[in-house]
Amino acid sequence: MAEVDFERRLERMFAEAPSFGDAESFADRIERRLDRGWATRRWLIGAAGVIGGVLGASQLLMSNLFQRVENAEGSARLLSSGLSQVAPQAGLIPDLSSGGGMVWAAVGVAVVMMGFVLTRVIEEI
Amino acid sequence: MPGSKTIRFASLHDVELCTHAAVGERRAFGELVRRHGSAVRGLLRRMGAQPAEADDVAQDAFLTAFERIAEFRGEGAFAGWVKRIAARLYLRKLQRDRKLHLFAEEGVETTDSTGGDADAAIDLDEALKTLASGERICVTLCFAAGLSHAEAAEALNLPLGTVKSHVKRGLDKLRTRLAPAHGAALEGRRENG
Repeated sequence: MAEVDFERRLERMFAEAPSFGDAESFADRIERRLDRGWATRRWLIGAAGVIGGVLGASQLLMSNLFQRVENAEGSARLLSSGLSQVAPQAGLIPDLSSGGGMVWAAVGVAVVMMGFVLTRVIEEI
Repeated sequence: MPGSKTIRFASLHDVELCTHAAVGERRAFGELVRRHGSAVRGLLRRMGAQPAEADDVAQDAFLTAFERIAEFRGEGAFAGWVKRIAARLYLRKLQRDRKLHLFAEEGVETTDSTGGDADAAIDLDEALKTLASGERICVTLCFAAGLSHAEAAEALNLPLGTVKSHVKRGLDKLRTRLAPAHGAALEGRRENG
């Protein structure tokens, strides 16, 4: 029983934190380090986003995407006119030339997402 | 008003501060550091770290805690959670410095500083200094950081039996050292001297 009492007493003694004169400056140092880490992280994410965006845009331009979309639109138009000649009810098949529209819709969504990301970054700053 | 947020955080409970910190509110975490910084620094010093070393490890422990704050579910006390992180970080540092093996030594007798420094206050910190390093770290891990014997053994990479015997010997020494009779004897020596 005395042993248990002593252990309880010891736990209480350990629970009493010593007081340090520089406790406030210690906390300030940690806050500064957190702020620094946060700022660094934000810049790294921003830089990675910009680099990724530039790479993506350059890849789009280099792959002649718009040329391909135009070609695909032409092919789709030919295909659907051929189909309508073979079977008049082929008009029920969705217009394949809407592939270009899909691309523009995707670009629109990407712009909205970029706007959202920018808003968040501005809020953070 | 720059101080208004600090005042607001000062009135919140630890768990509420953790919730704010989990969404990236650094000021809320700063308030937690203000509340528990001394406890963590004290723990590391009691484990045997030098003051500057203890402060460095305590800083790293708080930064780690901020990174992992989402893992803290509020089931135990925040202070206990950070103390365990700090204790493990300090042990890892000792391992890097190849000092951890020293705790495996059994039966290391330490010089009793009672006679040498009779004027020193009889408190826990003084009493801990009379323990061998292995005893000191095992007792502190189990009684201050809240680790079980098995957890301490795992953290120290020591056999469970060794940890248990370190704790037992450490407790025996502390019991003698912290006994009221011991303090009274010192008081008497002071009066005579």
